[in-house]
Amino acid sequence: MSTCQQFREWAEAYALGALDASQRAALESHLATGCQDCRKAVEEARWVVSQLAHWAPETAPSVLLKGRLLQTVRAEAKAAETATQAQTGTPWWMWGAIAALLLFAVMTERATLQLRTELREAEHQAANYQKEIQDVEAKLELAKRENVILTDSASVKIKLAEAGPEQPRVDAIWHAKLGIVLTAENIPAPAGGRVFQLWLIPKDPNNKPVPSAVVRPDEDGRFTLLVANPPGDMAETRSLAITEEPAGGSLLPTSPVKWVGTTR
Amino acid sequence: MFLAAFTSPANREVSADATLMRGLLQNDVGAFERLYDRHSRLVYSVVLRILQQAGTAEEVVQDVFLQLWRNAAQYDQSRGPFVPWLLTLARNKALDTLRRKSERQRRREDQAEELPPVTIAAPQYEKALDEKRAAVKVRALMDSLIPQQKKAIELAYFEGLSHSEIAEALKEPLGTVKSWIRNGLLRLKEELQATS
Repeated sequence: MSTCQQFREWAEAYALGALDASQRAALESHLATGCQDCRKAVEEARWVVSQLAHWAPETAPSVLLKGRLLQTVRAEAKAAETATQAQTGTPWWMWGAIAALLLFAVMTERATLQLRTELREAEHQAANYQKEIQDVEAKLELAKRENVILTDSASVKIKLAEAGPEQPRVDAIWHAKLGIVLTAENIPAPAGGRVFQLWLIPKDPNNKPVPSAVVRPDEDGRFTLLVANPPGDMAETRSLAITEEPAGGSLLPTSPVKWVGTTR
Repeated sequence: MFLAAFTSPANREVSADATLMRGLLQNDVGAFERLYDRHSRLVYSVVLRILQQAGTAEEVVQDVFLQLWRNAAQYDQSRGPFVPWLLTLARNKALDTLRRKSERQRRREDQAEELPPVTIAAPQYEKALDEKRAAVKVRALMDSLIPQQKKAIELAYFEGLSHSEIAEALKEPLGTVKSWIRNGLLRLKEELQATS
């Protein structure tokens, strides 16, 4: 007979509590190993044994027993309710109201955060528009200044390079108060990232060339450069010269003069 | 209504007990009273049969139901149907009381403060077996047993005696006592199954 078969034969006696101590201990040790078949046999035997309760002659307890029980149970229920209220100090419906308020606060906070985000985005967009307007206004101002420089009779025209068709042409128009407008055509683009730089050559031979703005021609070999605040006076400048310089320009010329024109 | 038509009365009873036990968790005195009304008679009958004394039996029944009330959270529905579990609890308590009274050595732990974690597996046919039919069947079967076999099961169930104690009390061989008890319970199982 296998061990499990033996234990299953003990299941009814075990459920009944009739097994001797050594057999009961052996069966319990076996159940502790996790044997599902024997465990099921015991659980089913417990049900059969529980049905023996119907064998007892049917008798009703006294009414007093129910009265005593209900009295105890009611008192304990009331004590439990009082203890719960004392612990929380807050009736249950108040918790509902608090929960609703918390929910409202959370929703409001979320809405506020969303509004703040939208407001920040709107402010950022407005700042961009403002900057664009300022840029356009600045360009317009420069265009106006450039136009005045080009048309004013007080302006002085300086030719830096003038040749035939397809040859470079570089002109500077200098207004003593409004600045210099430098225009060019048919200019070959400088190599790599290099640029053309304008220099003011002083009349005093002891003074060094004064560096001014830098520019690169477009794909068609043209450029227009407005120098609104030249670094020197026209009266003290003998000529304007252009050299090719590294990107960003130089403090002193690093290459030979490509084009030059005198102020008078 | 449609679903109710396919639910057996016994099954609804089980479900009702589980619902009442959940009510106890909410300190529902009404649920406790309904639970008591449903089962106190059967519980008291078993306990009185074991203790043979009305006063002591009522004390034990009171203890059983107060344990349900105070430790309802310990009742685990997954461990099996409620009524067999309640009857097992009541019988164990009554036998413990009996042993204390007769100063026998106790073989079970005193479970005065905790509900027993026993698991009971009800057969499928339990759902079709109401209490009245089960009672009739159990009594009829016990009456059909030979007197010595009936006495052996009686001593085991109502007095909590072990195989050896029963053999000694009846002056019968131990093996015979074991066979009587096991065969009697297996017959009971078959009869209840047949009834369903």
